[in-house]
Amino acid sequence: MKKVLAMLMTVVLVLAVFTACGKGGGKTDPAKTDTQVGELNVCLASEPDTIDPALNSAVDGATLITHLFSGLAKWSQSDDGALKIEADAAEELTEGVPNDDGTVTYTYTLRDGMTWSDGKALTAGDFVFAWNRAASADLAADYGYMFDVVDGYAEMQEDTSKTLNVSAPDDRTIEVTLVTDVPYWNELLAFPAYFPVREDVVADEAWATDPSTYICNGAYKLASWTHNSVITLEKNESYYDAASVTMPKINFYLSDDANNMLANFKNGTWQLIDDIPTNEIATLKEEYPDEFKVTGQIGTYYVCWNINEELLPADSGLTGVEAETAREEIRKAIGLLFDRNYIVEDVAQGGQVPASSFVAMGLTDADDSEFYKNAGSSADYDGYYDVSVDAQESNYNTAIETLKKYYKYDEASQKFTNFPTITYLYNTSEGHKAIGEYLQSALAAIGINMNMENQEWNTFLNTRKSGDYSVARNGWLADYNDPISFLDMWTTASGNNDVQFGKGDNASLKHYSLDLTGYGIDVNVKDGTWAETFDVLIAKIKTCTDNDVRYKLMHLAEDMLMDTGCLCPLYFYTDLFMIDDSVEGFFSNPLGFKYFMYTTVTE
Amino acid sequence: MNTKNLVYILKRLGLALLTVWIVITVTFFVMHAVPGGPFLSEKAISESAMRALEAKYGMDKPLFVQYLTYLKDIVTRFDFGPSLKQRGRMVIDIIGDGMKTSVRLGLIAAVLALAVGVVLGAFAALRRNKVADKIIMVITTAFVSMPSFIMGALLLILFVIKLRVLPGNGAAQGGLVLPIITLSLYPMAYITRLTRSSMLDVLGQDYIRTARAKGVAKGKIIFGHAMKNSLIPVITYFGPMLAYIVTGSIVVEQIFAVPGIGRAFVSSIINRDYPMIMGTTIMLATLIVVMNLVSDVLYKVVDPRIKLD
Repeated sequence: MKKVLAMLMTVVLVLAVFTACGKGGGKTDPAKTDTQVGELNVCLASEPDTIDPALNSAVDGATLITHLFSGLAKWSQSDDGALKIEADAAEELTEGVPNDDGTVTYTYTLRDGMTWSDGKALTAGDFVFAWNRAASADLAADYGYMFDVVDGYAEMQEDTSKTLNVSAPDDRTIEVTLVTDVPYWNELLAFPAYFPVREDVVADEAWATDPSTYICNGAYKLASWTHNSVITLEKNESYYDAASVTMPKINFYLSDDANNMLANFKNGTWQLIDDIPTNEIATLKEEYPDEFKVTGQIGTYYVCWNINEELLPADSGLTGVEAETAREEIRKAIGLLFDRNYIVEDVAQGGQVPASSFVAMGLTDADDSEFYKNAGSSADYDGYYDVSVDAQESNYNTAIETLKKYYKYDEASQKFTNFPTITYLYNTSEGHKAIGEYLQSALAAIGINMNMENQEWNTFLNTRKSGDYSVARNGWLADYNDPISFLDMWTTASGNNDVQFGKGDNASLKHYSLDLTGYGIDVNVKDGTWAETFDVLIAKIKTCTDNDVRYKLMHLAEDMLMDTGCLCPLYFYTDLFMIDDSVEGFFSNPLGFKYFMYTTVTE
Repeated sequence: MNTKNLVYILKRLGLALLTVWIVITVTFFVMHAVPGGPFLSEKAISESAMRALEAKYGMDKPLFVQYLTYLKDIVTRFDFGPSLKQRGRMVIDIIGDGMKTSVRLGLIAAVLALAVGVVLGAFAALRRNKVADKIIMVITTAFVSMPSFIMGALLLILFVIKLRVLPGNGAAQGGLVLPIITLSLYPMAYITRLTRSSMLDVLGQDYIRTARAKGVAKGKIIFGHAMKNSLIPVITYFGPMLAYIVTGSIVVEQIFAVPGIGRAFVSSIINRDYPMIMGTTIMLATLIVVMNLVSDVLYKVVDPRIKLD
């Protein structure tokens, strides 16, 4: 026994010696003591692809950039917790002045004495340069299209020698002309793509990858960046509003493993984590009721049909417009079969909201009410169908009755017998899989056979975009609070037209109608193609100057979309994260950007 | 080392170069054949922007021309090109950053596995069928059969969440301790078992009996005669161990958020970041080819009877 003990001691000793070596000579502080007041440790995601304001298209990158740069406007939180957009680098957010040709000109004055983090003065010319850079086809930024509201954008896409209609009459004045009055213009000004950068700084293509070349003008400076590990921001004392910035230092740890994030949150190392393992959600909600947060996000999780997918039985005898009318009914009926409350509460479990329209919750209407509540024609419920728990049974019955018109129904087994087999395409993820399996089981219950096919993300995007699928998982998050961000993606030529509206067989189908004469617009198309109707409608919305009419047209566009049955919304997205209860003064915006500058940590 | 050995090593080096070239060629064409592309995203960029990006990175040219350009850049300038995803960063810098951590993690894990494995294995052999031997065998069997992602998760729960004595983030000070242990346990257990059986084998040989009969000191028999010969199988295991550590570190780096090359490798494939895929693949292929060569040469050092050809 003594020998065994001696041997065990030896093993322990050897292990101890080697593990000590593994620390590289440094001592190991217990993780807990890393946390000090005056410093915030958070983890949003892994290494950002870029923190160049113009090139970034990710939410975590946007959060970093909003701490580092100061645009003309910024998001802030009032004392009552409401979010608002206020002037940042600009002295005030002015009203636009309409011109004779329908364009609108805005003039901004920069605050006096604004500087870059290297001490040089911030000028109006920096904004002019930055906007032209971000919008240029040469830079090919994902968010270049955010400038399509600015006069000159369309021309500069065709001819690279042209520029936006933006100018700097003097060092503190910026004049910009928009194609039309844009209700969400101030929100765009608070978006990273609109933040200023300096020409001599960005001339070095690698400027945004190293603290020594990262010159910014916001509340924080980039203090250090250990790639793939941690990005540290330190307060910029020369920021004009430095007095209200309460957090001196923020460490953004870089990890994309939700389980690892959770471990570091649980042991107190990190105060905020932006990703949560799906299978832990239910437990965490109970264990950390005050620290598990669910906030609204303007986005919709939906299922999309390929409009050219044949759904009718081979012997239906229907063709052309008649067949498409039948398919529309069928797709809408199938959309009614799904119990969205079950999906949200038992499958997704993240506080999502059952969706009855495509334009997401959180987008406002002309009168500042919720756009989705005014969608559809029913006065009894919001949206295009009733998603309340009580309505599920009648929805189901309606769906069955509709489907009976086109398919053989076996009363004994209560199943359809000749519905063609369809395939549900989704990208590899436990969450998407679980939802797909629910949809599959709901359809199997009435005899519809739906296979599941998962593809790795990039392949999936490719397949879905090219329309090489029958039914697919889909989701859309808006970049600004305006319903058009959910509607213009469905024009024929749009790169996001996954449904394939106006493409393939659908291109020549004269099935759609559009009558705008009631709004004083001279458009009346009967039995036209998608391009002759929907595309025209979107173009009219984009140039419409009457705000009330513009919103009515957007409702009309959504009606057209929902009428095809090709979009089957399941729920509105929420943003889930965990934040330590020692942190105060934190807020996030509907785009998911997180704001740490006004936080304090009390311990 | 005579000329014959030198010729052998040169021949092997040539073969290694050929292997790496084949890896480059196959990866290059397979990677481009996979559907999707680096500039594809949930929110599509415009046609003109897509064309501008393709022109910027030379992807508008025929694939074979791109291949030749790529080979030329590597051979003449050791230029692996820019990352398509992390705009503004060069592939060589990203790999360099990641390798610093990964090599440290892998080397320490390998040394730890070897040192502890050999000692424990020899110890178990000398205590054959005693309690100590049995305990060691039970534990090593457990470690050999447990995949690293389970082991990693267990260690994470125990040391990071429950005891809170070690950091759970690979970037923190001391953050490599848990990844190193996780990564080394499997090869350590394997080496222990390997050393034990080979040691037992050697201890039964005639020359050991002769040495004992001659009255050679026990320590000298074990360290001078038995140990050296029983290490040959362990050296054979060197190559597979390296392969295990390289692939295993991908999982372990993920679990402990270690800023190594493993994560970059996986994400480059998901992102279709072509130059990054090529860079990481070439680097890993070279590493494995070279280490196999080293282990082959080591046989010769340990056992002069082995012919190098």
